[in-house]
Amino acid sequence: MSPLPVGLLCAALLAGSVALSNPFAIAACAAAAGALLWASPPPRAMYVWFAATSALLVFLVNPFVSVQGLTPIWSGPQIPLLDTEITQEELVFGIAAGLRLIGSAMAVAAFVRLADGDRVLAALARVAPRSAMIAALASRLLPTLEQDATGLAMASRSRAAQLHRRRPAAALAAPLVGLSLERSLMLAEAMEARGYGGAVRTRTPQPGLNAPERVLTAIGIVTCAVVATAIPLDHYRYYDLLGDPFTTVGLATAALVGLAGAAGAVAGRWARRPR
Amino acid sequence: MSHALRMHDVRYRYPDAARPALDGVSLDVEQGELVLVLGESGSGKSTLLRAALGLVPSFHGGELAGRVVSEGLDTREHSPAQVARHVGLVFQDPESQLVMRRADHEVAFGLENLGCDPREILPRAEQALTAVAAGHLAERETGRLSGGEQQRVAIASVLAMGQSTLLLDEPTSQLDPIAAEELLALVTRINRDRGITVVLAEHRTSRIFAEADRVVVMEAGRIVFDGSPAEAAAHLAGSAPWLLPPVTQAFVAAHRPELPLTVRDARRLAAPASASRRELPAAATVVGLTSVTKRYGEIPALRGATTALRAGTVTALVGPNGAGKSTLARIATGLEPPDGGRVEGDGVRGYVSQNPAHHAVRERVDDEVAYALENLGVAAPERARRVAAELSRFGLEELASRHPRDLSSGERQRLAIASVTVMRPQLLVLDEPTRGMDGLRKLALAELVGRLAGDGCGVVVVTHDIDFAAEAAEAVTTMARGRVLADGCSVDLLAHGGFFACQVGLALGCATIAEAGALLRTETERAGV
Repeated sequence: MSPLPVGLLCAALLAGSVALSNPFAIAACAAAAGALLWASPPPRAMYVWFAATSALLVFLVNPFVSVQGLTPIWSGPQIPLLDTEITQEELVFGIAAGLRLIGSAMAVAAFVRLADGDRVLAALARVAPRSAMIAALASRLLPTLEQDATGLAMASRSRAAQLHRRRPAAALAAPLVGLSLERSLMLAEAMEARGYGGAVRTRTPQPGLNAPERVLTAIGIVTCAVVATAIPLDHYRYYDLLGDPFTTVGLATAALVGLAGAAGAVAGRWARRPR
Repeated sequence: MSHALRMHDVRYRYPDAARPALDGVSLDVEQGELVLVLGESGSGKSTLLRAALGLVPSFHGGELAGRVVSEGLDTREHSPAQVARHVGLVFQDPESQLVMRRADHEVAFGLENLGCDPREILPRAEQALTAVAAGHLAERETGRLSGGEQQRVAIASVLAMGQSTLLLDEPTSQLDPIAAEELLALVTRINRDRGITVVLAEHRTSRIFAEADRVVVMEAGRIVFDGSPAEAAAHLAGSAPWLLPPVTQAFVAAHRPELPLTVRDARRLAAPASASRRELPAAATVVGLTSVTKRYGEIPALRGATTALRAGTVTALVGPNGAGKSTLARIATGLEPPDGGRVEGDGVRGYVSQNPAHHAVRERVDDEVAYALENLGVAAPERARRVAAELSRFGLEELASRHPRDLSSGERQRLAIASVTVMRPQLLVLDEPTRGMDGLRKLALAELVGRLAGDGCGVVVVTHDIDFAAEAAEAVTTMARGRVLADGCSVDLLAHGGFFACQVGLALGCATIAEAGALLRTETERAGV
């Protein structure tokens, strides 16, 4: 899929996840990004797993490292460097921070899975040709690196290595780096053999946007406008006391972003249908 | 006739290499020729192809003396990118040469580098894909294509650039027999129909040897022979018969003066042995698999596979790509659990990966062999004794202090096997052990696995290389679409086995070159009488 429509919607959701403050609006951004990721081709599970575990970690850690809030709900024993007085504000802030992480991670993941990587690189090459080729190398190396990691792990397990333990597993990092360097040299050589680095390059003309992509572009523009309008108006407060989340701006933003996420997911699925 | 490639007294040494990779190579290739380059691993075939494009010394560094002129461009004066406008190079490993994510973008990549008119790029890319029967792959992700499909896309990428010379460096080394035959047929067609000059370095010579206009034999960086296929067969019969097609090797083994290069020629010269069913000798079962199933996501890899892997026997597991061979092997060695069915068997089971580099995780060869014993908690004195014995058994004792990555490909392969057999497994699985291996090393490997089986180990060789399977294995298990099709004797399944037949099987109804040689000798003696 063309990177423009997906990029618009994902950028809006990423900006919303990071910059909005109303918890309902942040939750809506996370839900919309999740819906968009659902509409993208597999593999998706590892992105969801990464986002969910990171968010849970942030939620669990925040009350113990934050010393704010005026509504205590539990007090623990004194432990150096940790704040064991947990407040309602810290918990809500932790939930919001976790949702921010989920929203931003899933928005990036949805872009990675939905946008055509070659077209992203072609667009990048217009402004930074060298960086684009490094990105191309990296994107091609990732799958081979994954295969090599699996191969190394398999070969070590067949030699009785206990890879669930940290040290034996970590010992495979150096050979993996060695293998990836070999692979990158092979790929660079193949690129040179295909004339890369010679005369002035031309670019394959990109096809125009199709119907689902046009719909997605419209959704992306509307979402960008909604988020851009809401950010300066959204003044939700977490500390010292929680503000009222049921504000018109907060609820309206949440509703519009949620709707955009659902519509975006439908358009994303439509775009993936074989034609 | 003009020359596609001219090399004059080329000497090249890689940086820090002890000996030159090319040592006084002179070679002229005329436009439209199909030249087959033969030689053992490390003889300089790949370096010769890289020199033809200017990648040595431009990309690899090192010292080059002499002159290389490709399509009229002197590689000392023109960069590889400039030479690549006229000369294309397809590498051995398809996975490591694809740059873009989609197949049509991959083909377009070279055209973009040429500065091709943007309006022409996509039509030319589609034409090239169609020309190699890969038009249907245009919108597929390159990372999800099979090895054969990836290699087709790689060839299309070169064809699209409109180059008049095509260099191919062991393009079939990672392909199953059917994909390899299709690819070689495609290369021949490109040469014959389009007049494209082809210089092909290849170990699997059974299909291409007779098709070549010329055969060049390399040894230690030098060209030791350059002539027609028939002349090359006569030359190699005395010096390096393992470089010849298996059917020719059989006639060499029988000391027959005729040297047929194809199955058809061999059948004209000798009657094939009659098919007679043979039974495998009784042997204990090391691992038994019953109705084993396995899925990877939505893709079924095994659909009720049932087989018994035998002790003291070399068993070849053969079948096309995606048949489920590697999955079955991993399940048999306990590296993966099955989704359903029963796996019975105990004792130590070892698995040697298809890439020997996956078995190189230590800094020294002896440490690499000791790795498994350390993991098993074997005491230091016993460990040292077993490591020394294993190094000696595999002829690696001189290399004990070397880094595993500094070894040659054959030594790496032996080290990978030694690093597993040191555990004294009851079952040893070798996954595609002959990838990129020359004929001589295959013979050595066949002998090695035979010795391991002789020591009582059940050896399973997962392979696409039917000729190797026939040489090395006593028992054969054939697979397709996740099911075991047949278990039996290699003579029954590979000599008279239809789709999985080896070349001497097709020609003479025998499984091995030695058997075929004996058959031909008997026939000659009878004729003499």
